[in-house]
Amino acid sequence: MRRIYLLIPLVLLGLALGQTGPSYIDAELQRLIQAGGQSYANSLLKQAPDQALCSIHRNKLPADVLGPFIEAQRQTIKYPADGKLMGDWKQGDAIFNTLARGNCFSCHVGSPRNIGGNVGPSLEKYGQRGTSEAVQKYTYEVIYNTWAYFPCTVMYRFGHGGLLKPEEIAHVVAYLLDPASDFNTKPALKR
Amino acid sequence: MGRFWRLVGAVALALFSLMVLAQEEDDPAKEAEKQKKQLLEQSGGILPSDLYVEQGEQLFKAKRGPKNASLEACDFGRGPGKLEGVVGRLPRYFFDTRRVEDLDSRIRTCMIRLQGFKPEEISRSEVVAIAFYIASLSNEQPVVVRPLMPQEKKLYELGERLFYLRAGPRDMGCATCHVTYVGKRAGVLPYSDLLKDKRAASHWPAFRYSNDQAWTMADRIRACYANLGMPAPDFYSEPIIALTLFMNVQANGARMDLPGFIR
Repeated sequence: MRRIYLLIPLVLLGLALGQTGPSYIDAELQRLIQAGGQSYANSLLKQAPDQALCSIHRNKLPADVLGPFIEAQRQTIKYPADGKLMGDWKQGDAIFNTLARGNCFSCHVGSPRNIGGNVGPSLEKYGQRGTSEAVQKYTYEVIYNTWAYFPCTVMYRFGHGGLLKPEEIAHVVAYLLDPASDFNTKPALKR
Repeated sequence: MGRFWRLVGAVALALFSLMVLAQEEDDPAKEAEKQKKQLLEQSGGILPSDLYVEQGEQLFKAKRGPKNASLEACDFGRGPGKLEGVVGRLPRYFFDTRRVEDLDSRIRTCMIRLQGFKPEEISRSEVVAIAFYIASLSNEQPVVVRPLMPQEKKLYELGERLFYLRAGPRDMGCATCHVTYVGKRAGVLPYSDLLKDKRAASHWPAFRYSNDQAWTMADRIRACYANLGMPAPDFYSEPIIALTLFMNVQANGARMDLPGFIR
């Protein structure tokens, strides 16, 4: 019996999200997507309300949507259990420079190990910003959920999307900020 | 068949030396042109795509399948057996299937209807080879895809909406890269400008010299999804046809470069 009581708020939350969230996929688009096969449809039809907003506005949110959108994205950010936003830069190195993990180098210049892309801003010598709490927090949050700072941008929301754990994001923050990190002591590879 | 294997040998040799010599230009179009020239010099005037065209022609003209028929009566939109310029006019609505079809799905339709193959018997590599053959007969022809039928208009509109849709753990969406970040690089190639650069959609099917693969637009679209960790739509499925229709309309007026030769 107690289990059922525990489920009620979850069900209500689900209903609330389902009813109030903006929707991009109408019946016709849903039918088209379903024609693409089961796994394709399962993946696309799970579109979240924030993804729907970016789709509706073609990645340029109007002013009245922007404020609440950013606020909602901020609310999703979680931090490492030990509260440390800078972890081990060597572990961060592996994440930053691996295609199947962070894949950061594909879009950003700065890595001494991989030639960087230019979809994102250059992060060359990122550590020059110092390691103040504010810089650590900003860096961590942009990686955890970039939409809290750059709504609808192309960069993955690593923490929010479950691609990296909070501790792993802290390792990447250390790779970028630690003065001893290869990222700050060795020259960046460029095209 | 003798000419076929001579082609295989020449192309294999040329590709090998190409990999050894590979040195890259910055502009991908210029780089492809350079690689193409090199390959032509080394192979004595034969490109890998010629091989697929040749294979496709054989498959197209041979009597095959349970009905022991060739594909020569297949109607790609300009009448049965008329192949010149058809690739630049697809996708379009076909009255016999009551569907909008692209090059790949139309080939499949004819393999089923004319040759009697079951859908599960259709070989993807055969469809690609046949697509290369048909594409070779559309080279230098203009792209003229104008959605006029209600079914075409509807699918175009859905294709446009699918193009802007974002989903999945990486918030994937076609427009995010191919509108917002055109010309920028994530990896080796810059994102093509699918809304403004008419060349972007007018060189498919294409041979990719970097990985020695023959791709149609369907393979290109599926790779975009896969690169961002998303399940791709099935071959010959409507989402692929809708996206292709949307992109080909943007390429209207372009002179087709077929089969394409790209990185």
